[in-house]
Amino acid sequence: MSDAVTPFTKAADLALAARHEIISMTSTAKASHVASALSVVDILSVLYTGAANISPANMGADDRDIVILSKGHSASALYSVLALQGFFPKDWLTHYCTNDAPLGGHVTSKGVPGVELSTGSLGHGLPYGLGIAMSRKKSGAKGRVFVVMSDGECDEGTTWESAMIANHHELDNLVVIIDRNKIQSLTFTEDTLRLEPFADKWIAFGWQTQTISGHDYSLLAESLSTQTGPKCIIADTTKGKGVGFMENSVLWHYKPPTADDVTKAFEQLSENY
Amino acid sequence: MRDTFVATLLEAAKKDRNIILMTGDLGYGVLDTFQRELPDQFINSGVNEQAMMGMAAGYASTGKRVFVYSIGNFPTLRCLEQIRNDVCLMNNPVVIVSVGAGYAYGSQGYTHHALEDIAVLRALPNMEVIVPADPAETAELTTLIIASKKPTYLRLGKSGEPTIHTTRPKPAPGKINEISPGTSGTLIFAGSVGTVAIAAANALAAQGISVAVASMPYISTIDIDYLEKALRIGPVIVIEEHSYRGGVGAAVLEAMNAANLHGAIGLIAADQNNLSQIGDQSFLRTANGINVDNIIAKFNALKVM
Repeated sequence: MSDAVTPFTKAADLALAARHEIISMTSTAKASHVASALSVVDILSVLYTGAANISPANMGADDRDIVILSKGHSASALYSVLALQGFFPKDWLTHYCTNDAPLGGHVTSKGVPGVELSTGSLGHGLPYGLGIAMSRKKSGAKGRVFVVMSDGECDEGTTWESAMIANHHELDNLVVIIDRNKIQSLTFTEDTLRLEPFADKWIAFGWQTQTISGHDYSLLAESLSTQTGPKCIIADTTKGKGVGFMENSVLWHYKPPTADDVTKAFEQLSENY
Repeated sequence: MRDTFVATLLEAAKKDRNIILMTGDLGYGVLDTFQRELPDQFINSGVNEQAMMGMAAGYASTGKRVFVYSIGNFPTLRCLEQIRNDVCLMNNPVVIVSVGAGYAYGSQGYTHHALEDIAVLRALPNMEVIVPADPAETAELTTLIIASKKPTYLRLGKSGEPTIHTTRPKPAPGKINEISPGTSGTLIFAGSVGTVAIAAANALAAQGISVAVASMPYISTIDIDYLEKALRIGPVIVIEEHSYRGGVGAAVLEAMNAANLHGAIGLIAADQNNLSQIGDQSFLRTANGINVDNIIAKFNALKVM
C-alpha cells in the first residue's frame, strides 16, 4: 500500500513540500494549529533530512536517534514530514482527523510508523526523552534523543524538573529544540507567563544553550551536529511562517484555512520560497 | 512488606541487569542495600514525581523493567497523567510501587494516607493493580510481576505486617487466594487489612459461624469463578483499606455485573467523611468503619436476607 517515495535530502525542499501538505490537510480536516505547524516544520525538516539518524529503514534499530515532537498539536507538521520521507503512505494525510483513520489531530504513535511518543498534553516529551537518553547513557548505547518543544510548554514544571535531572546526570545525548515563536494558546508568551531571559534560564540549569533562527536550515543542522552536554537550542521562529496573513497571529493557532485561504497561502509560498 | 519486596527485587536484579529501581528520594533505610549492591541499576531522581514517571516510561521503552518506588499518593496521584499517557497508553512496562497503603502512615496525617489510589489507577487502560496481603504474598507477586511485561501498580503496606498465609501462597494472575475455608460465607480482603478480616472470622467462629477468608491481590482482573462458588455458600464481604468509591469492592461489583452474577455481597471500606482525624493505623481503620463489628453486622444483615 506504500507509495514509492524518494525521500527529500534537502531540508528546504522537504519543508516547502510539507508546508503545502500542512495547509491542505488542516483545511480539509477543518483542523486547528496550522500556524503552530508552519512554525516548527523547518526544525523537523532538518531533523528528518540527516541531522537525526532516523529513517524508515532504521526505525527498528536500537541505536537510531529518537525524535519526539512534544508539542503534539503540531501533528500536521510531523505527519507531513514523515509521509514525505516515506515512513507511511502519503495518502494518509488526506484522511487526517477523519473517522477510523490513522492520523488524529494530536500526535499519536499507535499504528503510525515513525512516531515515538503520543503527545498532546504539554510537558510530557522531555521527561520521556530524558528517560531514553539516561537509559542509553547508563548502558553505553548509541543514539541521541531530540525533543522538540514549544515555548509555551516551558510553563510546565516537568520542563524544569527534567532540565535539572539531565544536567545532574550529564546527558550529552539529549537535545531540546524549542520552537520559540513567542505565542501561546491565548496570547503572547511574555504577556502570559514571562519566559525571558529564556536562554539564561537554560544556561543556569547547566545546559549548553544556543539561540539561532529556527528557519535557517544550515544553522540548525550545524547546531544539531555537536554537543558537549545536555543541549538546548532556542530556535527563534515565526508562528505561521511562510504565509503572511497567518504570521504572528493568535487567531491562526485555532482557525482552519478555508479553500480561499489555501489558494492565497499557496500563492504566498510560491512568492516566499 | 516493603522489605520483602526490595529483597525479592534485589535478588532478581542481580540476575537481570535490565531491572532498574527508581525512587523519588524516598526509601531511607529501605533501598540502601539495593543502591549499594547495584548502583548502576538504581536512580534517585530527586523530588520530582512527574518528571520521574515520564522518565521511567521513556527508560522502560528501551527494554528495561523499571520499578518506581515512593509513598502512597506521590507516585500515583501526583503524576497521574504521566502514568496514563506515557506508561499506560504507550504500554511501557513500568511498575509503580507505593508504600503506605490506606492508613499505614497513621498519625503522619492525611497527605500520607492512600485512599483513592486503587480507584484512580485501576481506571487506566493496560494497568494491572496488585495488592498483596502479607510479606509471603508480596514475595510471590513480585516474582510474577518481574516476569510479566505489563504496566503494573503494586500497592504495599509499610513494615512489620504479619504473615497471615499459613502455608506458602501460590498466587496466580487474576486469582483469589483462600487462606482458610468456611461453610457459611466468605470474607474477601485486599492488602494488610487481612488481619481485620481474620479477626472478624474468628469472632464469627466464636458465634458458631464458619466463614472462609481469602486474599484478592489482583484488582484489575477479578476471579469470577471464585466469587460464583463463594456466593453459593453464603454472603460475601469485600474488605479494603481504601475509599468505597471506585475501590476493590466496586471492582468486584463491576465484574459481577459484567458476568451477570448476583448474590448477597457487602462492602467494607473507608468512610470518606473523616479525612482529617489523627491516629495510628488501627485507630483510623476502626474510626472509618473498617472494623470487626461492622464486618459482622454486614455479614449478619446479608445472611438474613
